Amino acid sequence: MADPVPVSAPDETTLRQAQKRRNAWLALALVAFVIIVGVTTAIRIQETDFSGGDRIYFSGYLDEAAKDEANREAEARADALAAEQAAEDAGAQESGDE
Amino acid sequence: MSVEMTAHGTSPRLATAKDYVNLLKPRIMFLVVFTALAGLVAAIGVTGQGINPVLATVSVLAVALGSGAAGALNMWYDADIDAIMTRTASRPIPSGAVPRDEALTMGLIMSAVAVLLMWIASNVLAAGLLALSIAYYGWFYTIILKRRTSQNIVIGGAAGAFPPVIGWAAVTGNAPLDAWILFAIIFVWTPPHFWALSLVAHKEYAKAGVPMLPVTKGAEATRLQILLYTILLAVIGLLPLATGLGGMIYGVAAFGLSAGFLFYAVKLWRSEAGGPDAGADERKLAMSVFGFSILYLFVIFGVLMIEHGFGLHFPLRGF
Repeated sequence: MADPVPVSAPDETTLRQAQKRRNAWLALALVAFVIIVGVTTAIRIQETDFSGGDRIYFSGYLDEAAKDEANREAEARADALAAEQAAEDAGAQESGDE
Repeated sequence: MSVEMTAHGTSPRLATAKDYVNLLKPRIMFLVVFTALAGLVAAIGVTGQGINPVLATVSVLAVALGSGAAGALNMWYDADIDAIMTRTASRPIPSGAVPRDEALTMGLIMSAVAVLLMWIASNVLAAGLLALSIAYYGWFYTIILKRRTSQNIVIGGAAGAFPPVIGWAAVTGNAPLDAWILFAIIFVWTPPHFWALSLVAHKEYAKAGVPMLPVTKGAEATRLQILLYTILLAVIGLLPLATGLGGMIYGVAAFGLSAGFLFYAVKLWRSEAGGPDAGADERKLAMSVFGFSILYLFVIFGVLMIEHGFGLHFPLRGF
């Protein structure tokens, strides 16, 4: 049976080249990360309705459906209040006419 | 890249890009991404809610990164047993290409990046589920379960079942019943899938001291468990029809694939696969069950994606 071929450690030049390649890949990954975060944030800002109280990354609800439900309820309350107010105004107007 | 001697005495060698890719378990990553994408597309189809294509792409990328991170953490912890088993001895750490510490660092950094990206691209629920699934696989399954109980793959199977729920949550911000049905399909699919392979590799697991079911309970008990889980999978695989998640095409595919899987499981149950008298035919049969299980999952989730992604969803409830 032949003796196993001895494995020698890579020389310094090979090591440096490998290290450079690895660094280049890491740099590319970092640039890609920055671009992804930037583009994603830009899209999120564009899609967010700040006037409606939305926040970019966290709405305050773990369940977005619950947030939507809460929003609908708030809108319904506001509508009811506005209708009530309108009715009161109309009543006052009528009594003023009389 | 590593020039250090590993703990197992393997000769050092320079790592290639392929070693780093292998550290992320690319085949598992592919399956994870595929099922996450299926969950995402199904969520759009069922709820009618939309997601910006760029955000959807970043969300899927985050799932891929998370899967790779969990794979790296798994290889970091399992380097000792990987070196013992022939099937895994050529992995990046036991082969001396990547140092363990580097794999750990890579896994942790990638985990953080994956969760962060998921959060900024979708919502906190999807990011939380992704973090949970990474921790479940990288810590709970790998460190706690794998070397302690023969039910490791049953309980640990939940880690691989999260992706469709994450994909769903990325779109809707919640995780309704339909998403958890997809979770259940993968959860119940995992044991027969993995035990079929372990019937072939049980001697290696025994050598490494990993208490897989064929090692602790024997081949016969494993074959029975495979059959029972396949029956359960056939039932759970039909649940999407009941909720309307799956349409007519899904129904045909699910019935056909379940019948095929059951056929193989019964054949395996009646065989001697994994036993002391098992020959090449039994080994081939076990590998056929393993292969068919992969086909099952790909087709089931692929059909869901086609139905909801291409407007081909015709619910059975309409009849």
